[in-house]
Amino acid sequence: MTKKARAPLLSKVYTFFIYFLLYLPIAVMILFSFNDSKSMTNFTGFSLRWYKELFVNGKAFEALKYSLIIALLSAIVATLIGTMAAYGIHYMRKKALRRAVTSVTNIPMMNPDIVTGISMLLLFAFIQLILGLQHSLLGFGTLLIAHITFNLPYVILSVLPKLRQMDPSLSEAALDLGCTPVKAFLKVELPAILPGVLSGAVMAFTLSLDDFVISNFTIGNSFQTLPILIYSMTKREVTPDMNAICSIVFVVIFILLLLSNLSGGENRDRSAFSEKLRRHKKGIAIAVAGVLTAVTAGIVVLFLLVPPRTEKVLNVYNWGEYISDGSDDSLDTVKAFEEWYYEEYGERVKVNYTTYASNEDLYNKMSSGAAEYDVIFPSDYMLAKLRDEGYLAPLDYSEIPNYENIYDEFKGLFYDPDERYSVPYTYGVIGLIYNGAKVDEADVTGWELVQNEAYRDKILQIDNPRDAFGIAMYALGIDVNTTDPAEWDRALQFLSDQKPIVQSYVMDEVYNKMESGEAYVAPYYAGDFLFMYENNEDLAFYQPEATNFFIDAMCIPANPTRDDETYLIANRFINYMLSEEPAVANAEMICYASPNRTVVENEEYQEYMADIHEDAMEILYPEDVDFREEYGKYCFRGLDKDTDKYMNGLWDKLKNTTTEEKTDITNYIALGLLVLIVAALVFFAIRKKRRERYYTEKAVAKV
Amino acid sequence: MGESVGMNNEKLIELRNISKSFDGEQILKSINLDIHKKEFITLLGPSGCGKTTTLRIIAGFVTPDEGEVIFEGKKINDLPPHKRNVNTVFQRYALFPHLNVYENIAFGLRLAKTPDEEIRTRVSEMLSLVNLRGFEKRDVTSLSGGQQQRVAIARALINRPEVLLLDEPLGALDLKLRKDMQVELKRMQRETGITFIYVTHDQEEALSMSDTVVVMANGSIQQIGTPEKIYNEPENAFVADFIGESNIVNGTMIKDYTVSFAKQVFTCEDAGFEPNEPVDVVVRPEDIDIVPLDKAMLTGQVTAVTFKGDYYEVIVDIDHFKWMIETTDRVEVGQTLGISIDPYEIQVMKKSEFSGMFGDYSTFSDEIEHLSDVETEETK
Repeated sequence: MTKKARAPLLSKVYTFFIYFLLYLPIAVMILFSFNDSKSMTNFTGFSLRWYKELFVNGKAFEALKYSLIIALLSAIVATLIGTMAAYGIHYMRKKALRRAVTSVTNIPMMNPDIVTGISMLLLFAFIQLILGLQHSLLGFGTLLIAHITFNLPYVILSVLPKLRQMDPSLSEAALDLGCTPVKAFLKVELPAILPGVLSGAVMAFTLSLDDFVISNFTIGNSFQTLPILIYSMTKREVTPDMNAICSIVFVVIFILLLLSNLSGGENRDRSAFSEKLRRHKKGIAIAVAGVLTAVTAGIVVLFLLVPPRTEKVLNVYNWGEYISDGSDDSLDTVKAFEEWYYEEYGERVKVNYTTYASNEDLYNKMSSGAAEYDVIFPSDYMLAKLRDEGYLAPLDYSEIPNYENIYDEFKGLFYDPDERYSVPYTYGVIGLIYNGAKVDEADVTGWELVQNEAYRDKILQIDNPRDAFGIAMYALGIDVNTTDPAEWDRALQFLSDQKPIVQSYVMDEVYNKMESGEAYVAPYYAGDFLFMYENNEDLAFYQPEATNFFIDAMCIPANPTRDDETYLIANRFINYMLSEEPAVANAEMICYASPNRTVVENEEYQEYMADIHEDAMEILYPEDVDFREEYGKYCFRGLDKDTDKYMNGLWDKLKNTTTEEKTDITNYIALGLLVLIVAALVFFAIRKKRRERYYTEKAVAKV
Repeated sequence: MGESVGMNNEKLIELRNISKSFDGEQILKSINLDIHKKEFITLLGPSGCGKTTTLRIIAGFVTPDEGEVIFEGKKINDLPPHKRNVNTVFQRYALFPHLNVYENIAFGLRLAKTPDEEIRTRVSEMLSLVNLRGFEKRDVTSLSGGQQQRVAIARALINRPEVLLLDEPLGALDLKLRKDMQVELKRMQRETGITFIYVTHDQEEALSMSDTVVVMANGSIQQIGTPEKIYNEPENAFVADFIGESNIVNGTMIKDYTVSFAKQVFTCEDAGFEPNEPVDVVVRPEDIDIVPLDKAMLTGQVTAVTFKGDYYEVIVDIDHFKWMIETTDRVEVGQTLGISIDPYEIQVMKKSEFSGMFGDYSTFSDEIEHLSDVETEETK
């Protein structure tokens, strides 16, 4: 070996810088997974509480378990099939055919995940139709098939080059020395391509582990993988236990890669250990193969054969972080329901609890028919839409005696005037969250605060047309459900005027920006204010006179294939959630206002809220407000199609005018890139021609 | 062919009317060949002549389209490679990179479930045979080309095959090493008494090692014979040209022992042609004598002289045909040269498909290039 030239300092610094940038986010994440407090911005001390919570609160851990199982199984199966496929492709006689097959294999890799996901979903729906099945096929099996499918090309792609590198006479030499073709593959070809097979398997494993898009379409309703759970949990903010679980995943993958690199490394300098390994490799190989087979077989048996389950299953689909789940020593209301149900009715019920991030996600799942749910939690306007489109089944109120716990003012509202489809779960109000240390109390008089020049670049606005226009309309005194374009134009004017002083349009980022003091003023929900207040006690909440109220309610989706017993259990689930203990637990967890009298009048609850903020009860339940009247005046109703379209058009206009400069810059960048590409193409074409001419001239001269 | 040392007349392998095509291109055209026990036989020819395909048919990697492969009297056309009692040394060794030297050599014995004790003895025997004692634990990828070649030979020989097939085994080695290995291969063959079937495009290698040389071109066998016979009595223009340097001119066999070429009549030692039959006449460059002009049978103009160390290579233009002469005499370009050819130096051949293609040194440099073309693999 020749001595390596010393890397100059600059290139060392550069290398370090690159790795620094690559790993900085992960390092920060791992650091904050050990943070003592909930804050994402302040490191208050070292603690293992989030890791502990993972083990205590089964949700994330269970999702991780499913993710690992799916990743492992799909990696194993994809590696087996993919290696065989690569082998077949490599030994194809006809070159053209081989090339064609290789490109066909590669296409799914280029395909956007969303296309793969949707086409998978369609395929499964189609098979369901052909087989005449009543229940959706989606579940563990379909998810596994989908993962194997998208993993296959990666395995093939990593095995093929190894086959090409392999001396083609290797297998002939083995045959020549007495191997049968199968033995020749196992004893000679497989060891030669093993690094490719292993790296294919590792790639398949990691790809499967972090896939969200394809999984989202093919997973069904009975469980969640980690990426899907995390996505649905970001509705409010990324919680520290997510940091912990992501850290675990990172470490697992890191170790895996390390192992695969070590095993695939140069075997020139064999240590005594690896020499020993080699001597016993037959035993080791048999052991590893045995363990792998046993694990695979065990898992397959567990998941594919056992679940002819006798117990009843209830599929509940809720917002992420929208129920008390046992974290922080709270009551796990879902588990409590299962126990309560068994004690009460002597029957085991398994609740499959999965989550979504927005009303629109819920609507898409419902309307695509991809999965069947028994209890959902839509917001008022979405509830009205689902009801109008026939997606809801009437409730059986005789099974929901606790409905009487709901205050009358929350009954018979516009989305369900005849009280047939829904039971309110939570409600809330939008107000102004401001930093008391930076904002002059005298300025906090109403919505006009969002236009106050004094807080230029410190103001946030909601990045969602309905809410943002709503704020403008409340400020201007316009009916938020108006169908008059002129009124919408006025609201647009308000927002355009505000635009120059807005720091940014945000959804979840509002937490960090307000907690860290990066921004001073933000319109947001009262319940979320209480969360932020836990991390920054300078924050304060102001509820303007005219403002938006919303209600999230429990409903049962229409499903003709659901049996009567499941329908009954769904009603009893809703009833249970209305009873005092779970309702209080949920309200304490969610921090939104509860329409349930047993909650509001519960002293322990009142104390709990007061612990968070001395005025919490007043903020959530303002005394001087007649909810029914305010809600009737100010709530969002479903907009008709034309108005909805008009609003979205104005929203685009607003966002584009503000980013006019940016658009120009991106245009210039795009143009510049285009010119560069054309220049490069021309350059290469000319060079190629020159070379050709040079060589033909040379050849001619030679003759 | 009983004249060669170490071989007997018992036929081991017989190829009967073997034909093979790949993708519509005929690679072998009705080959007939007998291979005897303990024989060192070489298939010699330029790239694409079908010699490697012939070898692969014997090994069992290729099935002939027509004809029979007979091994010790039994037809083995459909016998898979792992059931044939032959072993192969591959062109690029094809050692198993994940095994060390010991395990590579022991591979065949391990498959045959030979007891460990016996494996140990036989591997060490093999290692001494190929001069690689002490290399047992080495990684095969860390060996030099020559050492890898020895391991490949040991790996094949340890199974005590009746036939060892060698597919250009020395092609990747440098000249010096190649010469040494030639001698060693010959020694191994003598010591083991195993039939060697050797494929090469290097005529010198073929002549120096073989009991029998089989010259192939265009999918057919051109000539089978001892190295001496192949060299001294080539049967057609291709063989004459491919083995050594040759001047090949058109001639007419006037009658037995009299041939005319270059507008002159010569006495020769050949007979059995039709009167006045057109023939190809071969004269080796080293067999031409330079004589004073008054004693010359032919005269011509020297057009080129190349110094070759122990001799000069002279190109002489005799009546617009460029002759090559090898001489130790010093001659000058432009000089008029007289030459004489003894009757026993003249080899008369029947006209063949190769007539007129070789033997004129007017496009000398191009021909050198053509001859030195390195054989590329024929495997498909």
